[in-house]
Amino acid sequence: MRIQSLSEADVYEALITNADGLQDEEAARRIDEFGPNEIRGVRRKPLLFRFLSHFTHFLAVLLWIAAGLSFLSEYMHPGEGMLTLGFAIIAVILINASFTFFQEYRTERALEELKKLLPFVVTVLRSGKERGVHACEVVPGDILVLSEGDKIAADARLVWCAGLKVNHAPLTGESEPVSRNAEPCDADLLESGNIVFAGTMVMSGSGRAVVFATGMMTEFGRIAHLTSAVETGLSPLQKEIVRATRIIATVALAVGLSFFSIGFFAGRSFWDNFLFAIGITVALIPEGMLPTMTLALAMGSQRMAKRKALIKTLTSVETLGAVTVICTDKTGTLTRNEMAVKQVWYGGKIVGAHEVAKEEAEELLMAASLCNNARYVERRYRGDPTDRALLSFARGVLGEVSEDRIQEIPFDAERKRMTTVHRRRTDITGPSGRVFAYAKGAPESIVPLCTKVLFEANVLALTDEMKTRITGAAHSLMDGGLRVLAFAYRDLGISYHEGSVESDTVLAGLIGLEDPPRDEVPEAIEKCRNAGIRVIMITGDASRTAVAIAREIGLVRAEPMVIEGHAFNRMGDEELKEKLTAREVIFARMTPKHKMRVVSLLKDEGEIVAVTGDGVNDAPALKKADIGISMGTTGTDVAREASDMVLLDDNFATIVSAIEEGRTVFENIKKFLTYIFASNIPEAVPYVAYILFGIPLPLTILQILAVDLGTDMIPALALGAEKPMSDVMKRPPRRVEERLLGAPLLTRSYLFLGPIEAVACMCGFFYVLRGGGWTWGETLAPHDTLYMTATTACLTGIIVTQTGNVFACRSDRASVLDTGLFRNRLIFWGIAVELALQFFIVYHPVGNKIFGTAPLGLNVWLFLIPFAVVLVLSDEARKMIVRRRAPGQS
Amino acid sequence: MYRRIVAAVNEYTNSEVAARYALALARACRAPLTLFFVAEAGMKAEAFRRAEAALGRLFREAERQEIDVESITERGEPFAKIRDAIERNRADILFASTRREDLEKRFFQRTLAKALILNLPCSVALVRVVHMGRVSPKNILVPLRGRMVTIKEPSCFVAKLAEAFDAKITLFHLAEPIAGYFHGAAHLAALRRESGVPKDIESFAECLRRFDVTHEKKIRYGDIAREITIEAAHKRNDLIVMGASERSLVRSIMGGNPVETVLRETPCNLIVFKPWLIADRW
Repeated sequence: MRIQSLSEADVYEALITNADGLQDEEAARRIDEFGPNEIRGVRRKPLLFRFLSHFTHFLAVLLWIAAGLSFLSEYMHPGEGMLTLGFAIIAVILINASFTFFQEYRTERALEELKKLLPFVVTVLRSGKERGVHACEVVPGDILVLSEGDKIAADARLVWCAGLKVNHAPLTGESEPVSRNAEPCDADLLESGNIVFAGTMVMSGSGRAVVFATGMMTEFGRIAHLTSAVETGLSPLQKEIVRATRIIATVALAVGLSFFSIGFFAGRSFWDNFLFAIGITVALIPEGMLPTMTLALAMGSQRMAKRKALIKTLTSVETLGAVTVICTDKTGTLTRNEMAVKQVWYGGKIVGAHEVAKEEAEELLMAASLCNNARYVERRYRGDPTDRALLSFARGVLGEVSEDRIQEIPFDAERKRMTTVHRRRTDITGPSGRVFAYAKGAPESIVPLCTKVLFEANVLALTDEMKTRITGAAHSLMDGGLRVLAFAYRDLGISYHEGSVESDTVLAGLIGLEDPPRDEVPEAIEKCRNAGIRVIMITGDASRTAVAIAREIGLVRAEPMVIEGHAFNRMGDEELKEKLTAREVIFARMTPKHKMRVVSLLKDEGEIVAVTGDGVNDAPALKKADIGISMGTTGTDVAREASDMVLLDDNFATIVSAIEEGRTVFENIKKFLTYIFASNIPEAVPYVAYILFGIPLPLTILQILAVDLGTDMIPALALGAEKPMSDVMKRPPRRVEERLLGAPLLTRSYLFLGPIEAVACMCGFFYVLRGGGWTWGETLAPHDTLYMTATTACLTGIIVTQTGNVFACRSDRASVLDTGLFRNRLIFWGIAVELALQFFIVYHPVGNKIFGTAPLGLNVWLFLIPFAVVLVLSDEARKMIVRRRAPGQS
Repeated sequence: MYRRIVAAVNEYTNSEVAARYALALARACRAPLTLFFVAEAGMKAEAFRRAEAALGRLFREAERQEIDVESITERGEPFAKIRDAIERNRADILFASTRREDLEKRFFQRTLAKALILNLPCSVALVRVVHMGRVSPKNILVPLRGRMVTIKEPSCFVAKLAEAFDAKITLFHLAEPIAGYFHGAAHLAALRRESGVPKDIESFAECLRRFDVTHEKKIRYGDIAREITIEAAHKRNDLIVMGASERSLVRSIMGGNPVETVLRETPCNLIVFKPWLIADRW
């Protein structure tokens, strides 16, 4: 039983209803069975639970334990500052959880926008009487009474209709109304002319239809289900953060436990060991990493907004940089969506639009003018871009034409043509009154309707030879990147009968329309090519037109793999995956419903996919893609809400700019991670020295937190705002295996930069101690001024060397001088804030009290500053060696 | 093969639609069909009349399809009467529709569906009808576990359904992703995924091949229930056939119950199938 193929009586039987509709009690019972007719999202983990999950991962659990032990320590040994430490650790957990949640958070409003497309009240037939009911009360078996302007509440099979036309835009993206009938047919449900769908609208006529699907079971519900259920999964950056966090937590725990054991066997007290274990763990965890990363992404999204790309989820900023494939629409994104007639074929010749002779091409021009839904109002053409272009062209040559339209068979994506019937008041010979049918559409749809052709002012039989010539002409126009429409007419005489209008017609000619590419697109495509990003065009145009445009903008150079919609439907997944491996792929004659499959298959193959879309039915593909990109100017609200990025100018070049920014963000994150991780070593070494050599603890835990969550953050953010390197779009996309925390980064931070800083801070510590008369083995009380001054010197050693480190971290191989010293002014602001904070910690009584510090003399600063210079120069030497070993590499 | 099929019918529309699947299976297996209605104590006359009308419509439909059909109406407690009818008729399989309580009660606890699945001496096909316009499935999604208790009967059941409706089958397996603690989930290319198809699923496919049923295999990773419903919605499947849950109550509470979730969120009609393990006919 296929609902579209049943007779009216069988429809009633299949849906257990009758021509009078359901009775109220039966309808109520069916609501109980099938549920209300409403769109609802799939169940998700509540927001609160999602937030709380950030408090329960491995690192967080580790920190909770540390905080708990600190409180226990405070309870057993009050007054040693462990209470403050416990609260500080909890603050770290809270800060990290909040920032991670903020990164991931986005409001899910696509479903709300979808709901707006459904009506609130509809008219149904119940017990033989028409009545208005709430749309949510419609059930399978109900009979919808449809009239002009009605929004349709459910999927239903028409049993009667008169001149019914509906707008299927939410389902197909086609804005032209499609006509409906009540006759049984064997087509697929979506292509059946006797079905009306929820979410669509009656444009004209009336009808009655039996509901067979409601709520989430409708086609509209299917889109809603996919939009709500499909999840992209973790972004590449989120995966890297999880991975990095696990590595850091494991290392911190392992080091903490190891040294705890060493201290235990060395005979230190439990509490000494415990203090040490907590200290080293806190030192090795970069507490400021997640806040800095979130802020850097937020700054990246602001920079993108300036380039007309509005980012909705913070991590998408980096995902853009990892994109390997862009699936893009053609019209409006690659092209301007400004149609204009460029070339015309009639009478056996192709001529330019400005060379068309009125007398020779009158029937063609009449067809272009009359079989057209655009209007010229208040000196402006209004309507669909194609119709506007045709009307403007015809009106320019023929002048104003106005004839009574007495019938219309609207454009239909499946039929690929529209036909109108007119009673002409005049024709070329004078007063007429005759009825003419005009048809326009894809050549493969129009030519088979024709038996004759207008050729050199004569009407000739349409022979096979002539068909070959016409096909050749159409191909010639398409190869010039033009969208080709064929036009035909039929003189129906004085009397005319419906049904005979689309046969035995005369082919009047072909018109080639140009939708010029956007000026910036060829350069953007070239950038993508250099950056190793594949661009796949998905268009509803014919394949020849698509290929010609693709050649014009540089998208294809060799023979591309062209896949047309009908072949696409027949192909299995494996076959399609095989075809998708081609370097240059174009999808032609496609509809938006195909997009999600393309995206899914590409993702299956490990690609990071960006896809553009503007229609309601693009929403699932936008959600499925790693980056869904919607159109800010022409897109629907549903598409905008389902996407990760909105193009404010609908321009493909903006996507490429955003990718450039995204790649830079990843590079910048690595830069500031190098910076942050380098300071972990001078934070950890004092604890190792403390436990191994029995010296006073050179750095307190709160001083570590002052670095990680205070002084380091603004310079790190400044590194996050570095401008793109000149070669950023000349490298291939980063490999999936490329780690954020890779061996080169960790080696540079932990084994090169970090140790230099450690030497600085320990030298500072001992410089003050020795200057104050301290002797080896002597213990100092926590509030001893000498001890506090020495720890302050140790902390200042880290801060001073970190100022040099900012410059070093701007590039992992380019010299400081080559990176443009003043190219990123935020660096200087970052250093200024860092030093201001340090002055507050060192010289302000409040800072002294919180962090257990004491003012330093100028001699200490002068002693420490050379270490920053040494760090920069050492890294310059390292960079020089790296450049010599691998010249030309980034 | 199924030698006698029983379809439980009641006053609800979805039981009538569910029984149409039983009709199709009876036709494909050339098996006699018993349409069985149990009127519970206190049932209203109107409900009784509706159930009788449904029985009548189904009976006539079965006769039109030249199925050997009988219609039985009894009064009493539904489960006991159905079990008696199954034992009396030596029926091989029962078709019954889900009820509202099956969706409302967590993990089907104390529902008729659970009683039927656990305690009847035959196979059970529990049908959830959500779409009245797609009762003739053309593409059926069959989610399968990597290890199945029995393969022969479920595969024959699916093959016969496909034969009855001339439908294509998609065998769908949700695999555990290959993941490391530090490296996360590894992305597997198609070939490696394909090579990871469990042996039981290959056997299932082999059985479908014997029945000459068109089918394809798919492996995905992720949340089981969510991926099943997404696949069904994306590919516009008309019917999902999945095995009954084998999870204990404790495991369901701890890790969720995919069958329950799919039952609630299915975008198309769903048959939850429980094979009768003792049968020797396979």
